[in-house]
Amino acid sequence: MKIRVVVDRDLCIGAASCVTIAPETFQLNDENLAVVLDHGTEPGGRTFERTLEVNEEEYENILLGAQSCPTLAISIFKEDGTKVFPDV
Amino acid sequence: MMRYVIVGAGIAGTTAAEEIRKRDPDGEIVLIGDEQHALYSRVLLPHYVKGKIPRERVFLKTDAWYRQQRIEYLRGERVVSFDARNNHVELESAREIPYDKLLLTTGGEPRCINGDARGVCYLQTLDDADHLCQLLGERETNDRAAVYGGGFIACEFLNIFDAVDVSVTCFHRGPWFWSQVLDQESGRLIHAKLLEHHVEVWPGTTLADMEVKEEKVVAHTTGAPCEVNMLGIGVGLARDLRWIEKGGVKTSAGVVTNRFLETSAPGVFAAGDICEYEDPFTGRQTLSGNWTAALMQGRAVGKTMAGERTEFRLVTSYATKIYDADIIFIGDTRRGLATRVEVTGRAGDGYVVQRFYDGEKLVGATLVGGNRDRKEITDTIGA
Repeated sequence: MKIRVVVDRDLCIGAASCVTIAPETFQLNDENLAVVLDHGTEPGGRTFERTLEVNEEEYENILLGAQSCPTLAISIFKEDGTKVFPDV
Repeated sequence: MMRYVIVGAGIAGTTAAEEIRKRDPDGEIVLIGDEQHALYSRVLLPHYVKGKIPRERVFLKTDAWYRQQRIEYLRGERVVSFDARNNHVELESAREIPYDKLLLTTGGEPRCINGDARGVCYLQTLDDADHLCQLLGERETNDRAAVYGGGFIACEFLNIFDAVDVSVTCFHRGPWFWSQVLDQESGRLIHAKLLEHHVEVWPGTTLADMEVKEEKVVAHTTGAPCEVNMLGIGVGLARDLRWIEKGGVKTSAGVVTNRFLETSAPGVFAAGDICEYEDPFTGRQTLSGNWTAALMQGRAVGKTMAGERTEFRLVTSYATKIYDADIIFIGDTRRGLATRVEVTGRAGDGYVVQRFYDGEKLVGATLVGGNRDRKEITDTIGA
């Protein structure tokens, strides 16, 4: 399935809980902010949002990473644009 | 049917409840919290106070979520005692609740100063943040603030007052911020940042007394008196362990657990800020006071309580900023326990790193002014 993962750089505080849970998708940049990776690689360079092709297991783990963010800085959207997280 | 009782409805307790429900659809889950709100993110409170997000964005759960998960959430309730031999807890209202498995996630309370006034603020709960928002909303030109403390909460207050352009005096007990952990170079770097932002800094200064004078707070410090409109307090966290110890569970600086967050009493577990767990990377009993650790402990202990015994394994880290400078603590930064501390960088370079060793093993680090070595250090500690 395809998902879009977006980090809000204004909300990110570099707590790195997403990095702990899903290091293949999240890493910190030089400003200590989370950037989005595609299976550990960064085609097109560093970015705060990407569309990713993921399997069910990878999706669940990325969702866990987003849910663990203390500032809810990570949003996840389905291919049709529906927001999956945060849902509050 | 198993009855799980969780004392403390913060991120550790609520996450544990969620994990238990995933594994035990029939068990009874009782979550007891002394606040009235649904779960919210304490880490988002500074964002809310600065007006970066609306108040409703701090919430992580809705009221409906507790109903959907069939979690009985007792709000505004405080547990005053428990009995690990007869398996029950007692609420302030004298109601007794029996349990099969008990989780203690009561965290800590900010250390308070003697005396109170409207202008005195703390920054732990949503109610604290609401109060601070109100004070900031009423501020007038030339209003001043003071910050008492030299740690994470003091940094949050300083960032908030900077964002709303209020002049600040900051006084703290030590010679520099986190003087128990940071070396002089790291301390100098933070001090320079404070001066850059026109903060009046009084190191080696504590609060002796306070009074209210014409709606202002007069902080009588061990230095000069400091007359301000707002006084932010960030002088650490106190953990109430007496009732837990009395209930029959071993405590030290926190509630003592093994790597599985199991306490000395069968069927009783601990997680979050109250928990002093055995860190698998160092073998040492460790307290952790940060969000990610509390969340991950909640996950691990929820699994264990539901029968899937899970070790808590995480290289913990705290990250904050003082203005534009990163301050990051990784792993075990207890200076007194380190056999060697290696410092690289100078305050003038804008980046200072300390590495804490236990023998040859790297167990912790502090990074001030940047994050360049964060990944490598975290990976080494966790290897």
